[in-house]
Amino acid sequence: METTSRRSWTTRVGDWFDERFDVRIPLEAFLKKPVPKHAIKWYFCLGGITFALFAIQGVTGILLSLYYKPTPDQAYESILFIMNNVRFGWLIRSIHSWSASLMIAFCVAHMLRVYITASYKKPRELNWVAGVVLLLLTLAFGFTGYLLPWDQKALWGSTVGSEILGVVPLIGEALLGLLRGGMEITGLTLTRFYGIHMLVLPMLAFVFLGAHFIIIRRQGISGPL
Amino acid sequence: MNETGNTAGKGPLEEPVSRRGLFKYALLGFSALVTVGGVLTPIIAYLWPPKQASAAGGGAVNVASTADVPPGTGQVFSVYNKPVLVINTPDGYQALSATCTHLGCILFWNEQRQLIACPCHEAYFNTNGAVVAGPPPSPLPTYRVRVDGDQIYVEGVES
Repeated sequence: METTSRRSWTTRVGDWFDERFDVRIPLEAFLKKPVPKHAIKWYFCLGGITFALFAIQGVTGILLSLYYKPTPDQAYESILFIMNNVRFGWLIRSIHSWSASLMIAFCVAHMLRVYITASYKKPRELNWVAGVVLLLLTLAFGFTGYLLPWDQKALWGSTVGSEILGVVPLIGEALLGLLRGGMEITGLTLTRFYGIHMLVLPMLAFVFLGAHFIIIRRQGISGPL
Repeated sequence: MNETGNTAGKGPLEEPVSRRGLFKYALLGFSALVTVGGVLTPIIAYLWPPKQASAAGGGAVNVASTADVPPGTGQVFSVYNKPVLVINTPDGYQALSATCTHLGCILFWNEQRQLIACPCHEAYFNTNGAVVAGPPPSPLPTYRVRVDGDQIYVEGVES
């Protein structure tokens, strides 16, 4: 081992782990990949900001799930409880709601950047497709989350939004019933949307985020214009 | 550099912290502390058991002083984000939900008729919450109300 007098305690802790796990080389390869000069611009950060917002949604969403009750009788009451009785409940819920809107905005901004710098071209077409899937997942997150407060805005927003599915030729009505868990928005719709919002979409998001990130690390950021 | 007492067996002494180094560590430490504190404080407070077990709130809310609601008048106050009408009746203070049981409009106190009125469909309730006229399907829920000194308290729980 190195025995210079300049080894700080952080280096020594790092060495201790490295001697046992042998992680320094793969970790450095992962973390110390240089960003090309042409990409050190603020508009190359939009995707990262979107992911940061996704992480915030994960944390605040888990916190909200500790107090939220997805039943027609108690959904709105539990929202009032979070806003009025739980300490910082207003803050956690507001962050969740604002970050949701911001995440969609940054998704679109990231997409525009990729389009303008032509970064979707060969061999990166599939990463563009993964990104589009992630945009759709984000919108689905927003749509299912919108119903959960179970107030008038939520009810009618979901009624109008889901009605769009009903105009699909031939199978529209079946699809609508499948989405709503019946022909109308009821408690069954609420639990359905809750399950999709909390379990199905996060799992899909992890899969596609993983793909999105692995591909970009393998292929690197596209060259300058 | 002033290297003193490099005893065998023990590792070499670390360089003394420079002025720049001290600033760097102080700034980093301060930033880390503020960040961790700013994020963790709300989260731990959020997880801490909330004061009221009931979603409608449990504690009594001081809505007004007795001078604000003279005899024969009534006013709507916000109790845990819900409108509650407090009326000064000859039998004492009465508190009722101010949400019409018909379509949810906010009720007001009609001083001339001494009745609770709904502006939407001309419904009337008496001071006990019973429907006197109009389309409401059920009476108004009432709240416990209590006067302590010259302050009026409304319980969050409907009785």
